[in-house]
Amino acid sequence: MTLPTSEPILYRAGIGSSTGVVDADPVSTEVVRHSLNSAANQMKRALIRTAFSPVIYEVLDFAVAIYDRQIRLLAQAPSLPFFMGTMNFCVEAAVEAVGGEERLDPGDIILYNYPYGTGSHPQDAAVVMPVFVDGAELVGYTTTKGHWLDIGGKDPYSTDTVDVHQEGTIFPGVKLFRKGELVEDILRMATANSRVPKMVAGDINAEVAAVRVGAAGLLRVINRYGLEAFAASVERMFDHGEAVVRSYFEKIPDGRYVGRGEMDDDGISDAPVPFEIVVEVDGSTVRLDYSGAPDAQVGPINCPIASTVSASRIAITMLAGGGEAPNEGHFRPIEVVARPGSMFHPEPPSPCFLYGWPAMQSLEVIYDAVSKVMPEAVPACSGGDICALVWWGIREETSEPWADGSPHPVGQGAHAHGDGASSLIHHAEAATRFSPTEVWEARNPWLLEKIELAPDSCGPGKHRGGLGVDMHFHMIEDAYVTAAVERTKNEPWGLEGGLPARPNCGMLYHVDGTTEPVAKATRLAVPKGATLVLQNGGGGGYGPPSERDPKAVHEDLREGYITEGHAREHYPHAFE
Amino acid sequence: MATRVGVDVGGTFTDLIFFDDATGETLVAKEPTTPEAPEQGVIRAFETGVPSEQRRTVQFFLHGTTVGLNALLERKGAVVGLLATAGFRDILEVKRGDRDDPYDLFCNHPPPLVPRRLRLPVTERMLATGEIRTPIDEDDVRHALQTFLEEGVTTVAVAFMNAYRNPAHELAAERVLREEGFDGAISLSHQVSGEYREYERTCTTVIDAFVRPCMASYLERLSVRLNDTGFDGSMLVTRCGGGSLTFEEAEARPFETILSGPVAGAEGAAELARRLELGDVVTADVGGTSFDTSVITDGRPRVVNEGRVVGLPVQTPWVDVRSIGAGGGSIVEVDIGGLLRVGPRSAGADPGPAAYDRGGRQPTVTDAALVLGMLGDGKLAGELALDADRARAALATVAEPLSFTVEQAAQGALTVVTSNMANAIREITVEQGQDPRQGRLMAFGGAGPLFGTLLARELDITRIVIPPHAGNFSAWGLLGADLTRTAARTHILQLTAESLAIAGGILDELFDDLAARNGAAEATREVGLDMRYAGQEHTLTIALGTPRASLVGVGAEAVAETFTDEYERTFGHAMEEAIEIVSARATLRTPLPRRAERFTVTSATDADVGSFRAYSFASGRWLDFELVQRATLAVGTELAGPAIVLEDTATTYVDAGFSLRVDGSGCLFMRDSHEAGPN
Repeated sequence: MTLPTSEPILYRAGIGSSTGVVDADPVSTEVVRHSLNSAANQMKRALIRTAFSPVIYEVLDFAVAIYDRQIRLLAQAPSLPFFMGTMNFCVEAAVEAVGGEERLDPGDIILYNYPYGTGSHPQDAAVVMPVFVDGAELVGYTTTKGHWLDIGGKDPYSTDTVDVHQEGTIFPGVKLFRKGELVEDILRMATANSRVPKMVAGDINAEVAAVRVGAAGLLRVINRYGLEAFAASVERMFDHGEAVVRSYFEKIPDGRYVGRGEMDDDGISDAPVPFEIVVEVDGSTVRLDYSGAPDAQVGPINCPIASTVSASRIAITMLAGGGEAPNEGHFRPIEVVARPGSMFHPEPPSPCFLYGWPAMQSLEVIYDAVSKVMPEAVPACSGGDICALVWWGIREETSEPWADGSPHPVGQGAHAHGDGASSLIHHAEAATRFSPTEVWEARNPWLLEKIELAPDSCGPGKHRGGLGVDMHFHMIEDAYVTAAVERTKNEPWGLEGGLPARPNCGMLYHVDGTTEPVAKATRLAVPKGATLVLQNGGGGGYGPPSERDPKAVHEDLREGYITEGHAREHYPHAFE
Repeated sequence: MATRVGVDVGGTFTDLIFFDDATGETLVAKEPTTPEAPEQGVIRAFETGVPSEQRRTVQFFLHGTTVGLNALLERKGAVVGLLATAGFRDILEVKRGDRDDPYDLFCNHPPPLVPRRLRLPVTERMLATGEIRTPIDEDDVRHALQTFLEEGVTTVAVAFMNAYRNPAHELAAERVLREEGFDGAISLSHQVSGEYREYERTCTTVIDAFVRPCMASYLERLSVRLNDTGFDGSMLVTRCGGGSLTFEEAEARPFETILSGPVAGAEGAAELARRLELGDVVTADVGGTSFDTSVITDGRPRVVNEGRVVGLPVQTPWVDVRSIGAGGGSIVEVDIGGLLRVGPRSAGADPGPAAYDRGGRQPTVTDAALVLGMLGDGKLAGELALDADRARAALATVAEPLSFTVEQAAQGALTVVTSNMANAIREITVEQGQDPRQGRLMAFGGAGPLFGTLLARELDITRIVIPPHAGNFSAWGLLGADLTRTAARTHILQLTAESLAIAGGILDELFDDLAARNGAAEATREVGLDMRYAGQEHTLTIALGTPRASLVGVGAEAVAETFTDEYERTFGHAMEEAIEIVSARATLRTPLPRRAERFTVTSATDADVGSFRAYSFASGRWLDFELVQRATLAVGTELAGPAIVLEDTATTYVDAGFSLRVDGSGCLFMRDSHEAGPN
């Protein structure tokens, strides 16, 4: 299938620009900024504590955010950064879908999950609430996007879809609440289309609770200062965020820096999919150019523009945002160039279930590009993936459907300042986590035989990469799994002479002793007694291994982070 | 007789409060903390604060210590060996995959308390149902012990998978270690915590093992020294979850004492709330570097089931105190984007605020308050005269880039820091479905009374309480710390009459265990169940009033109704899902005898009365504030703001628009003058 392609389009990642003449004092601005972040934190807590699916309450696979009337990011709570960067697209599309601002009433709540608006797969459902002052004047929006365990589609989780309609039920912007009244029909549609209806109903409730908590918080801030002063403070706050990021890029020499990456395959065929991203620094502006990416793929590794912009926002604010939660201002110096019809700007009906996988690789590739000019500013490649598994089945005893899913940790790349951290979820999903084994085992028909650091999985270097993790899932009842494991063919790279690390690997061990490699696999039967093994990758090294402090080598050997063979091979100087 | 002493060891000062039951009087003392041997500072405070002829009459010595916390902070604890289920030796390092700072590309974890070579696998496996899947291989324990002994391990932690459901293998490991002659301390995870989540439980068990020897030796040294002074009463330590433990219990369960000062403050606030029937109270405890807030409902601080210390989870009841880096020493600065920031960096006690004139050059909150006249003439804590010129010079460094006057910069600093504190209060109340405006604000700590009216305005709270001994209030809070023991066990059950009977059986066992820990005679029982809707993970702890026997006569329907009401109050809506019991919680509480305090008023002299020019945030301009000494205010005295009330350990800033009344309890009650009604 050949998709039509066209000229690249430039997107501004943040609305507006600093005028430098904003009439708000630095004190009120700081107070408003903190209060908005606090309101977003309250949303996050409400969502976690009322959610039904472990993907939300344990994994924290969601984002919460507060926007102003122009849909500029006011505040968000640390959760899933990669979702956060898409939320303005969700709000815009949801509002447009119901007929625009003039069709919004106080008490309305919109449900929206169309992948080409959210940038995600249909499981990632956005809930958007317009916020009105005195029940009359629209002042902004509160929104969450949370991962539902299933909303129909050919499978609960897919790596082999060939169009977006196979991927799940679409709610193209519908009012779930109309003037505060639940629209029962919509809820019934959602539950009727889910394999785990109770979880979905519970999570909808939780998302609604969160946007309401956020709306109350936003109104509290506005009422405290008055709309005019609030608006001025917000402008100043954005200018501040912009200044922080611009001051970072001003220090980087102007130029075009090219990063290269490769997807293992598109989920349908076996062919690798190489791509490059150009990072262009122009004064204090940074342009991320994805236009060299290949055409949209047949399989679902296509990343809608909302998520391409999001990945760019995350990569740049983690680098240059001063370690703070970003707002609209931080995004202003960022420009994104992408070509409609390409893998990073697909058009309907291209499948995009695995949109996040190229996006995660793009984060690594952007840092690879930055390393060409400032290697000390970025880490080497991490395990590069979340090695996701989504499980489901029917419980033997109760005949109840069950489902669970999780990202898994990898080693982080080493950097100029030290060794990479072991066992962290990929930074695109920086605040997410996996469930405790004891919670898993109390809930799911499986037994974890092992979750352990994998010796030698780290990339050698002056600073070594973090260690990957080995995880063994042994099934106690028949189950199905969809695996989405990337970077199995390419080792995570090192920087500045550092060496690559162990790539990711999945393997299914059947009861009869046969084995089967698992990377991207959909609805794989894992019978009772079989064991699925994930060997998650390590992080690349930084600097030549010959420069590693021999004491550090012996320390690693003593603790069993590396074996003697690995030590002698890569650090012979430590044994002289 | 209830004569007692509370001693709270802080980072800088060791505070003592002595309550003499015979006279109803309360004396305070303050000595520098002696970090190398904290008992020296404690004994010095005891000898200064308690008249020698009275030491024998003291019945209770109540102690808040940071010995365990410091051991963790400085990583100076026992050499711990960890026995783990084979395949899970790396729990402490694998963690949950998340990071403390999601925006830090280079984040790394501090090294685990037990290095990898001392985390050794034992072949064994228990299922989530409590069934044994793989019996324990006792030879693995023997081999591990050999390694431990070669490596100089002094205490052993044992944390096996699903041990919360069946502890047989942990007990077997302990038996083998003893059979093989190991005579150091052993911490078993199921005894530390009966709850699931292996990372959290393992971490808590390791903390227990890590701090145990230093806590034991400290408490032993202290008790010997105390007895040398003539004291022969009961010695108690505060618990993270509220109340206190005997020294003996604290040596056996040191992880329960990791957090002291902030808890003692919350406990003191709760005691006052009960005694004076204050209703809901939010605390504002402002010290030099941090702001701590907690919520008191029904006369008790809210307790959560997990705490966090130096970035590590502690799976034990924990008084829910939220801290942010905002206090008198918080540094005021202009950031790269031109905003005025306050904290979390702090000048601490050394060099301290610029006004201390001890070498601090950066402006702090205290400097800002001084410049604005909020501290009166600047005699702090009775000893230190503050240097206003130094404070102004320091503030000028942030005023200049903002094109502010020094006064504007100072006002800005106070506004920002107050807002940050108010946000913390909003988060801790709103997320529980509470409206802070309905309750009272209780402000204490050295800098708390300075912020009482500022915070009240920010939060629309109309009633404020400044307790007696506000600057030493954590030590005062110790005086009422009832002896408390708790235990909990996870056992997930759907809520039915039968499952309540099972939960009742578990509670009976837990109470038996608690009673066995230390023969507790006159204890009252409190029962709680962690509950949720089937399908959820997070639980609400529902308190069930069953003073006699656990759960006898409580119907499933009544329990369901209590849960539903509590859920609706907290989250704003209820659901029609089935309800589950997740964990049962048992508490034994032995109250200390009541005490009746009296307050004496020194007679007023002309020197105590005056007025001072200070900035009023409520009116937005400089006003004449009445300047009074707290000790000269007779019970029943009323005065209207603007006023500044001075005492040795704290300064109360009463902004315009607030009035103040001196209560017979020793508290200052302030309220918004625009609000009618009782205090």
